[in-house]
Amino acid sequence: MIRKILGFIAPVLLFATISKAAEIVVWHAYRAEEKAALEKVVAIYNSTKAASDVKVTTLAVPYDAFADKITAAVPRGKGPDIFIYAQDRLGGWIEAGSTVEPIDFYLDKATTSRFIPTTMEAMTYRGTIYGLPLNYKCITMIYNKKLVATPPKTSGELVTVCKKLTNAPAGKFGLVYSYADFYYHAALMNAFGGRVFDPGPKPVMNNPENVKSLELLMKWFKTDGIMPAEPSTALVTSLFNEGKAGFVFSGPWFLGEISKTINYGLAPLPTIDEAGGKPMRPWMTVEGVYITPGSKSKDAAFDFVKYLTDVPSAKVLAIEGRQTPANAAIYNDPQVAADAILKAFRKQVEVAIPMPNVPEMTMVWSPATTAMNVITKGAGTPKAAMDDAQKAVLASVAALRKK
Amino acid sequence: MKALSGHRLRFAVGLLLGALVGVGISYLLLKGAQAREVQSREERRAMVSLRALTDIIDRIGGTGDGVRLAVATWQKSNPGLISIRVLAFDGISLEASTAAADSGDKAAPRRLARDEKSIFDRGQRLRAAVETNRDEGVSRKDEVETEKLPDGTFSLAAPVEKDGAVIGMVEITMPMSTNAPQPSILFALLCLLGPVIIFFGLSLVIGDRKIPLAIAAAVLMLVSLIGYGMYSVKTIEADGRASESAVARQITAQASDATSLLTSMSLDTSITPASWDADQFRLPRGLITDTGSINEATLAARNSDNSHQVRNVVMALIILTLAIMMLIGFGAVSHVFFTIRKHDQAYLYSLPAMLGMLILVFFPFIYGIALSFSDKTIYSTNKSIAETWVGVKNYIQILGDFHIASQAADGALVFNYKNFYWTFYVTFMWTISNVAIGVLVGLILALILNTKGFAIRPVYRVLLILPWAMPNYITALIWKGMFHRQFGVINMIIEMFGGQGISWFDRPFTSFLTALATNGWLSFPFMMVVSLGALQSIPAELYEAARVDGASRWQQFRAITLPSLKPALIPAIILSVVWTFNMFNIVYLVTAGQPAYSTEILITQAYKFAFEQYQYGYAAAYSTVIFGILLVYGTIQNKITRATESI
Repeated sequence: MIRKILGFIAPVLLFATISKAAEIVVWHAYRAEEKAALEKVVAIYNSTKAASDVKVTTLAVPYDAFADKITAAVPRGKGPDIFIYAQDRLGGWIEAGSTVEPIDFYLDKATTSRFIPTTMEAMTYRGTIYGLPLNYKCITMIYNKKLVATPPKTSGELVTVCKKLTNAPAGKFGLVYSYADFYYHAALMNAFGGRVFDPGPKPVMNNPENVKSLELLMKWFKTDGIMPAEPSTALVTSLFNEGKAGFVFSGPWFLGEISKTINYGLAPLPTIDEAGGKPMRPWMTVEGVYITPGSKSKDAAFDFVKYLTDVPSAKVLAIEGRQTPANAAIYNDPQVAADAILKAFRKQVEVAIPMPNVPEMTMVWSPATTAMNVITKGAGTPKAAMDDAQKAVLASVAALRKK
Repeated sequence: MKALSGHRLRFAVGLLLGALVGVGISYLLLKGAQAREVQSREERRAMVSLRALTDIIDRIGGTGDGVRLAVATWQKSNPGLISIRVLAFDGISLEASTAAADSGDKAAPRRLARDEKSIFDRGQRLRAAVETNRDEGVSRKDEVETEKLPDGTFSLAAPVEKDGAVIGMVEITMPMSTNAPQPSILFALLCLLGPVIIFFGLSLVIGDRKIPLAIAAAVLMLVSLIGYGMYSVKTIEADGRASESAVARQITAQASDATSLLTSMSLDTSITPASWDADQFRLPRGLITDTGSINEATLAARNSDNSHQVRNVVMALIILTLAIMMLIGFGAVSHVFFTIRKHDQAYLYSLPAMLGMLILVFFPFIYGIALSFSDKTIYSTNKSIAETWVGVKNYIQILGDFHIASQAADGALVFNYKNFYWTFYVTFMWTISNVAIGVLVGLILALILNTKGFAIRPVYRVLLILPWAMPNYITALIWKGMFHRQFGVINMIIEMFGGQGISWFDRPFTSFLTALATNGWLSFPFMMVVSLGALQSIPAELYEAARVDGASRWQQFRAITLPSLKPALIPAIILSVVWTFNMFNIVYLVTAGQPAYSTEILITQAYKFAFEQYQYGYAAAYSTVIFGILLVYGTIQNKITRATESI
């Protein structure tokens, strides 16, 4: 009898499910192997869900247009169900409204605790969680194995090694990195306990720790003379590839630019003697997976987000996509653990700090860049330059918040 | 049609249509104002009830049986409420509910179901709002949310606080009162038809004389619109007073309810009922006192605000309706109409293009201008332009800031590089020097290329056009690299000759030079091509004749070449000025405004205001100013040269 009823109901149910087949659209900006890895994860997910009514499709959007497309499309309900983006725009989107769905409600301890804790912090704005972290990126120390036998652990050792390697007239330098870029400098700044915002967010560009870190930077550059002037990214790449640089501080994006002839190694950024032996703490960007408020099937979307950030998916992203997943458990996987690069970044991220995701951060870059230029070109003292930057940021933030 | 073209009839039609628009809009605005007043009255009443209840739940501690008892009692004493719900964040628990759906096995307390996410999110939103406002010291996020529901009811939610932290939310649902008063249609008809009838009477006396008819019609229009405006002010004031007494009644009622409830639960009974009448930031409005009487001074201030607004609207309407009436009365409209009729096919063919222009050009343009009168930032993207309207404040800030430079302690001038006039000065210098370089280099090269019997001329020509053919951002980045302090080719050359390398981007002047060099490189090919084309079209006989007359090369150039080039060069220069004025790529990529915004031009500065500072309204005003400058330039240029006619 029951079987008979089922036999009658099943086609009806099937029809019902087909008619409301939920398609979950994911927008991302990945290319090449990162894209292939994501698509593979999606394909596996779809095959496990073949019986249900859910189908995930992906759409790769060119990176330069991606943020604007999200900003324009999602609040008007024309966006995807899910999108993947770094946390730096998160605060802005939340403040603008109707772009990112809060997901606190869906989360339980088991889900939130499977990530590297700081990556979860990057997904949190004003105490509410808006996405699950997928991958992180941060800078670490990359060294030329031919020039450096064992990577230094402290800044003292680093400077000693670099002084030996430096021969400025010949265009050889111990340490080359985009130190005039505030993003790169943040690693040194954070070692001193420096910061851009106090809670609020209240800009504190000119706090004493920031100034101290800049003074150390200038000591490296001027007194120790171990770094070149005006270090653009192109310069960093060419010096390292010509074997004229011992160390580079840079992130995973740099690895693809290293010439085949260079035998390089990765090691955590050194601790800073001047900061009482505290490690350099780079800023980390975290690519989060967000659900949009316009999504018609948020429950199903969240299920996929959970799957995407789980161990099996993270393994595909790490091994095939060459990404560094935010899932902590994946680094126990033998294949991942054996990968020197992934291991090095995992070690580095232990001390990394998520880059602030507040919208006020956009107002920091321009004054900070100006200040960094003034300082590194010797046109002003760190204190004076950061005072100016603080003034500029305060003015912009006040203009934004005025009633 | 001839018989209809009398002045009398045209002015009568103009008056009728003008009054129809004017009185019609006034009527609709008044109707809207009345509906809004009723809605805000209901919302304020609901707010009082919600705040009173939240006050009690705060004292109970936000959770437990006490909350359920309080909610049940409150529902009983407030039969007007559809439902009350209390949420506690801890455990995502629905602490109490009087909603019909939450009965039986769904009765509170229970954990929220998966499809009730929006309730939890709303609570979290309120928590974030309270914390944000507290952290920033500004009230910019709603601490009490009002939401109109699709079924015609509306729901209000307020945060529950314990020891300064938000731990939950109270939500009430209320029916929307539908009996909004309507403005009198009879009076509107009187204001509409009265003037027309009187005008007919007057026109018999005046006769078919244009000017007196126009004056009569204008006066009648004024009387009608001002009359309706005064009626509107009176109606709004009466509604406002009705609201105040309704809210006052609500406060008194809720205060006694609250006191009895607090007493029965033996809680602290000291209450400040006036603070319950608050805005969405939980700031008291101060219109009603604790004892339930109306604060006359505040009400009077609000009334005078209202009448100011009405006056502004009436003024705007008078201008609009007079314009309509005059256009019809003096025959402009009928003229346009007959022209369209006569050339209807031509207009039909150009209709798609006109629509395209309307959507792609004029709409964004007008939107941009409207935006420039608002105070929109990233925080207010969801608000309409009307809500963030600030009038000409942005323009005053941009154009009225004359702090261009100040004296430093050591007496040196310190320029304020973010000042509009500094940026304008840079833009001006940038345009002049670029166009000068472009024309000079382009003309010289064109003269060289135009030499008779010049070997492999085509090859040179192609080579010289190349800078123009390359994507300009690539050129810009290459030039930026060439100016690198340590590894740039320019400094290498300087050092080769024993000089000291220059940090190009450290000083405004040298930084400006780098952008100038880059853009000079990019702009001469265009001028060269234009000049070359014009040069080749000059008849050789002219030069021959000049030579026969014994003119020197310089005289030939002055008297023949330059005048012949004029018709081609002047439009090219006009275009080039506009391009260079708004040459975003080069400045943005090469100097990026370094050092400290000093080499920014207007358009890159506007970009930074919009996309780095997120001040959309301000940036729009900035762009409008740029447009204004170019408009003035274009008009003057056109007047002087009549250049467009020679194209």
